[in-house]
Amino acid sequence: MAGQMLNVSKTFQKLCISSRCKLVATIVNPFKECDAQIITSNSTRNANFFSKPTAQHLWKGITSVSNAGKKRGRGKNVSKSKIKDLNRGQVIGLGKANIIWPGLSAPIIRGKELVQQQQLPEDPEREKKLSQLRDQMGIVKRQKLSPIERGWSGHKMPGRSIGSPDPIGEDTFEGFDTKVLELKTVFNMKGNLGRKRRQSALVVTGNGNGLAGFALAKGSDARIALRKAKNRSAQKLMHVKLFRNHTVCHDFFTQFDTTKIFVYQKPEGYGLICHRAIKTICEVIGIKNMYAKVEGSTNVNKILKAFFLGLLKQKTPEEIAEEKKLHLVELCKENNYFPNVIASPKECRKPEEIPKDEVMDYKQYCFDGRVVLHKKKMPPFYSTYKSYQIYLKKQEKLKNQFKVKTNLIAEYGEIRSFMADKYPECTQYRREKKSEENETEAS
Amino acid sequence: MAALRHISQSLLRNFLKTEIRPNPETCSVCIRLLNYSSIDYDDKHDPSPKFFNKEVQSLLKDLTRIDLGKVNKRKRLGSDKLEEPVYQFMTDEELQKATEAAIKKSEELLQIPPVVSVRKPINRVLSEDPALQGLEQSTMVFTDITFGIRDSDRLIVVREPSGILKEAEWDVKNRMNQLYFPKEGRLLKPPKMFFGEYFESLLERKEYEFILDRACLQFEPNDPDYQRVTSITYQHVNDKGGFEMLRSTRHFGALVFFLAWHKNIDNLLLDLIETSYIEEGSKLLDLYSKLHDVNFKSSNDLEKIEEYIKNFAKKKAGLELGVQAYKDVLKQRQELEEGIKVAHGLR
Repeated sequence: MAGQMLNVSKTFQKLCISSRCKLVATIVNPFKECDAQIITSNSTRNANFFSKPTAQHLWKGITSVSNAGKKRGRGKNVSKSKIKDLNRGQVIGLGKANIIWPGLSAPIIRGKELVQQQQLPEDPEREKKLSQLRDQMGIVKRQKLSPIERGWSGHKMPGRSIGSPDPIGEDTFEGFDTKVLELKTVFNMKGNLGRKRRQSALVVTGNGNGLAGFALAKGSDARIALRKAKNRSAQKLMHVKLFRNHTVCHDFFTQFDTTKIFVYQKPEGYGLICHRAIKTICEVIGIKNMYAKVEGSTNVNKILKAFFLGLLKQKTPEEIAEEKKLHLVELCKENNYFPNVIASPKECRKPEEIPKDEVMDYKQYCFDGRVVLHKKKMPPFYSTYKSYQIYLKKQEKLKNQFKVKTNLIAEYGEIRSFMADKYPECTQYRREKKSEENETEAS
Repeated sequence: MAALRHISQSLLRNFLKTEIRPNPETCSVCIRLLNYSSIDYDDKHDPSPKFFNKEVQSLLKDLTRIDLGKVNKRKRLGSDKLEEPVYQFMTDEELQKATEAAIKKSEELLQIPPVVSVRKPINRVLSEDPALQGLEQSTMVFTDITFGIRDSDRLIVVREPSGILKEAEWDVKNRMNQLYFPKEGRLLKPPKMFFGEYFESLLERKEYEFILDRACLQFEPNDPDYQRVTSITYQHVNDKGGFEMLRSTRHFGALVFFLAWHKNIDNLLLDLIETSYIEEGSKLLDLYSKLHDVNFKSSNDLEKIEEYIKNFAKKKAGLELGVQAYKDVLKQRQELEEGIKVAHGLR
């Protein structure tokens, strides 16, 4: 008897240690009920480490670093955006086990029948959908800007339009457009707050017809700073003289601090070929054709101020003619150099009255006696190589190729050899289209 | 003969081949442009003595109504960008000098292309040498390329395989001249814009000045192709009322001469009356009388026009209405002026 009991206790022990033992299962089979009792005899705890802290608490633990840790450079890849709401996408009554619960996830009576609790086959899509939903969480996708709305670079504000200034009473700024030139974070030290960060915005506003203003404003938020600057710029409008409503009145030189700008008047269709900040300013003012070269610092603030100074100092053709007391005449190649008088003074000077040392060249007069240095373009380094000479010689036979091709196409509808009459088979090879081949084969 | 003879056998073969090819474009013209047929100045009534008459020239110039701004208007020069203008300071005298020089230049631009009768085909055999028969398989062209000879006087002869030596035909002559002494802008073969649907579409788009400028460049004035292109264009202008497009250009004189020569000035006269250019209308009738030896009894502008309408006009009703409307306008204007005078207390 005692020996039997020992055997039984040994098998129990084995059971406890390795429940996987296959042999045991057969032996133990008659004692199954008491076996379960023995295994679950451990005390159960409903509250454990994982159920005590809230989700918020747990997420905080893995998405933030202590101040001390931050100073040591820990947790560089953690951020609050990684927190995920695991409850999203989950509905009570619908779970991993796809069971129909009448009254919870399904109606109790459907038609005239009572709905029974029922186990459906597992839905493989559910898990996938949930994980996809969780992956997307924390990733905020920026709306794509249309190419017209884009600024100078990607999604950044500089160069972007932020609409017309807000109306003041009855004064609406219709037809005005504001463009951002600079948006940056600036800091200053406060007594109690320490390093305080703010946004600084530099914007220019204008009606595209010679009226424009600019302003710089700061705010705690980019949006606030931009609005402030926009409305402030509308209070500082200046009138800019335009020539034929499309370009500057004349070439000029202007300087603010170390930024020097040479501005050139250009004919229609030329476009704005200049620094991007100047281009943006011109678009707002209404200058459509111009060339400008910036020398020195390209700080946007300085460029803006230098350019506006130059624009304000412009003289109209009438003023120039009156100052010089001479006719201002335009000669244009397209008009057969027919003298077109742009402005005349009230009284014109006589040739004897003009001093010999007076600047009579219009360009030099515009630059205030300054002579712009146009550096001679150096020939490319390879121009002295023998190989380049050989290359040029080889290219010589191709010099009229394009003209000949177009003429042949105009005359015969194809590129053909001059021997085509004698040898009709001598034509340009063209691969047949594939679709046509298939059709012919099918038919 | 101190002529330098040049044989270009391979080139010639190609030229003559294209010559033999039938020209499909000209055929299509006959079918497509049925409503406008070419009207040449035939050699029975040579227009050149009358055209080069000084009085006629001055009348044509007056009718062109020169507007210097329009003569020197902005032209497309073929480049994609406009040239930068040059600005200059000028005193009164300098400005006057520059303007005078520019006016002189524009007068050159306004020279009316000559109106001459269409040329006769050349068929002059210089010599027949049967001994040379079969010596060469291709025709040979000999061109005198001496410097300083006018293209029209240049001696160009053809030796055919049959041994016949004859003067070259007009087409060969023009081609050889263009080959040895190329004129800028002129092509060896006339471009397709003068033929068929291309020509028609240009007319529909009313690119009259472009067609006529290009025709002046490409053809000689006695070329049948030139006379075809210009006459069809003039008829189109006359029917569609595109006079304003050609005014102040060198082609307006030629257009007026064409219309007056063919007794088809009614549309132009109506246009002048409607725009109240009665003086020009009278000048037009002067030109008409010079070309056709007709005399108008009255010397008053308006009366002269009425006389023309009575005796020669084809579109009498329209012209009479136009004259009546003009008279009404005159009357109204007079009444208005008198009314203003009364209002100002002058009468």
